[in-house]
Amino acid sequence: MKPKVQDTRLPIYSVSKPSVWKRLRKQASPQLFVIVGLIVLFIFQYLPMFGILMAFKDYSITDGISGIFTSHWVGFKYFIQFFHDYQFKTIVTNTLAISFLKLIFTFPIPIILALMLNEVRISVVKRIVQTTSYFPHFISWVVVAGLASVFLSTDTGLFNDFLMKLGIIHHPIDFLSDPHHFWGLAVGTAMWKETGWWTIIFLAAVSGIDPTLYEAAQIDGAGRLKRIWHITLPAIRGTIVVVLILAIGSLLGGGLVGSNFEQSFLLGNSVNSGRSEILQTYAFQMGLAQGRYSYATAIDLLQSVISVILIFGSNWIAKKTTKTGLF
Amino acid sequence: MKRRTLEDYLVDGINYFLLALIFIATFYPFYYLIVISFNNGLDSSLGGIYFWPRHFTLVNYKTLVTDPSWILAFFVSVARTVVGTFLGVGFTSLVAYGLAYKQLMFKKVYFAIFIIGMYVSGGIIPLYVILRQIHLLNTFWVYVLPSMLNIFLLFIAISFFREIPSELEESARIDGASELRIFLKIILPISKPVLATMALFIGVTQWNSWLDSAYYVQNEHLRTLTYKMIQVINQASIPTNIQGPGAEYAAKVAQATPFSLEVTAMVVSIIPIICVYPFLQKYFVKGAMIGAVKG
Repeated sequence: MKPKVQDTRLPIYSVSKPSVWKRLRKQASPQLFVIVGLIVLFIFQYLPMFGILMAFKDYSITDGISGIFTSHWVGFKYFIQFFHDYQFKTIVTNTLAISFLKLIFTFPIPIILALMLNEVRISVVKRIVQTTSYFPHFISWVVVAGLASVFLSTDTGLFNDFLMKLGIIHHPIDFLSDPHHFWGLAVGTAMWKETGWWTIIFLAAVSGIDPTLYEAAQIDGAGRLKRIWHITLPAIRGTIVVVLILAIGSLLGGGLVGSNFEQSFLLGNSVNSGRSEILQTYAFQMGLAQGRYSYATAIDLLQSVISVILIFGSNWIAKKTTKTGLF
Repeated sequence: MKRRTLEDYLVDGINYFLLALIFIATFYPFYYLIVISFNNGLDSSLGGIYFWPRHFTLVNYKTLVTDPSWILAFFVSVARTVVGTFLGVGFTSLVAYGLAYKQLMFKKVYFAIFIIGMYVSGGIIPLYVILRQIHLLNTFWVYVLPSMLNIFLLFIAISFFREIPSELEESARIDGASELRIFLKIILPISKPVLATMALFIGVTQWNSWLDSAYYVQNEHLRTLTYKMIQVINQASIPTNIQGPGAEYAAKVAQATPFSLEVTAMVVSIIPIICVYPFLQKYFVKGAMIGAVKG
C-alpha cells in the first residue's frame, strides 16, 4: 500500500493573477473608449460589409437592415443579369480602357518628374516647382472638373485658344462633350492633379542615394544621363515596384490617381456617357437612382473581386521577377 | 569640380524648360481663375483675357455674397468642416488612446477587428442602404458621423501615443485623475503634431467632399459649396442655349454671368486650402514621406 501523500501545495486561487473581472475593472475607461469605437466601426464599416450579401439575395429597401440576412437567396442571378445587360460591353470596355490608359500614362510621369527635380541644382527652383506641382492634390475633384470646363470649353477655353494660335488645330476641339475625347480628358486631368503628389514619394527615395556614387561615376566618365540610368533608377527600383503593385491593385479605381469614379461622375454627361460610364458609376446609378440595390451591389462586388485578384496577381509576378513584393 | 560638358548644358536646358512648363501648367490655371473672378462677367465671355482683368469689378463676389443660397452653401461647408474635424479628431484620438493603453485586455482581438475594417469595405451601395435605415439620410449628421472614426489616422495616433513616456500618465493616475481627464489634460496637449496631421487630413477631406451632398441629402438647405459648383458646371459643360435659373440670374445681375460666378465660387473654395497649405506641407507631406520610407 502506498502511503497517502499529503498535498502541500497552496490553494490555487492565491497564486493566480487577479481575476479577469478585477483587471477589467481597473482598465474600465480605456476599455470603454475602445468599445465606443467598435460600435461606430460596426455601424459604418461592418454592417455595410454584411450588406454585400445583398448581391446574392432579392433585397428590397423595405426589408430594413435585418432584411439583408432574411431576404431570399438567389445565387448568382444578378451577376448573370449584368452579363446580359445591353450596356455590359460598353461599361466593361470603358472601365478597362480608362484604367489601363491611366496606369500607362500616370505611373511613369511622377518618376520622370522626380528624376528631373533631382537634377536641379538651384534649390529655390526645385522647391517652387515641387510646391506648386502637388497643390492640385489637395483641391476637390469638383474644382478640377470646373477648371476643365473653364479651360477646355470650345468658345472661351484658353486651351483651344492656345492650340489654335499655335496653328496645331483650326477648329476648337470639344473635349468636354465629344465622347471620343473622354478617355484623354480623364487621363489628362488625373495626371495634372496627382503627378506632383506621387513625385514626393519617388523624390524621397531618390534623396536616400549616397552622393559618393555619383562622384565616383563622374570620375569614371559617366555623363548625366548615364548616371541617371545606372545609379538613380536602380536605386529607387524597390520603391517603383511597391508603388506599381499598389497602382495595379487599385487599377479599376483609377490606380494611383484613384479617380475613375469622380471623373466619370463630374466630367461625364449625357452626351459622352458612351465612353464615360464605368462599373462604379453604373452601380451607383442602378442603386441610388433606380433602387435596384441587389443588382448594384453585385456590380460593385464584381469590381472588388477583380481588384483583389489583381493585387495578389501583381504581387506574385513582382516577387517572381524582381524579388520585391508588398507581402 | 569637373568642367561642364555639352551634355550637362543640354540636360539642364531641356530640364529647366520642361520644369517651367510644369510650373505654368499647375500655377497658371489658379491665377487665371482669380483674374476672371475680378473681371466683368459679360466681358469675360468675349475671351482674350490672360494676365490681368480687363474690366475690373467686384460684382462677382458681391453677387455671391448677396445670394442667400451661395451664402448658405458656404456656411454648410464651413460647418461640416469644423464639426467634422472636431468630431473626427476627438473621437479617433479617444479610441486611439484606449487602444494604446499598455495592459489593455483583448488587445489582439481589437486590433484584428480594426485592421479588417481598414482593408475590407462593403462599398457604396450597402453603406447607402445602412445610412438610409438608420435615418441619417437628409440630415446634417450624414456629413460627419460616417467619417468620425478614421482607421488610418487611428493607427497613426496609436503609434504616437505609444511614444509618450508612461511616467506622465502614471503620476497623474496616482494623483487620482480619471482616464478621461488624463486624456484631455495631459495626452492631448502634448500630441499637437499628430492632432494637426489628423485635423488637416479630415478638414481637407470634409471641405472637398461632394458625393454625400449630392446623394445623401435632398434638403436644399443642407447643400454644400461643392454641390452648388457641380450644378453650375453641369450647366456650363453641355452646350445648350442658356436657360433656367442661370439665365434668370444673368439677366438679374447683368454683369455677373453663370460662368463668372462659377469661377468666383471656385476661387472661394480654393482659398481655405491655400491658407492651410503651409501647414499641409509641414505635417502632411512629411507624413507621406515617412509612410513611403517605412513602407
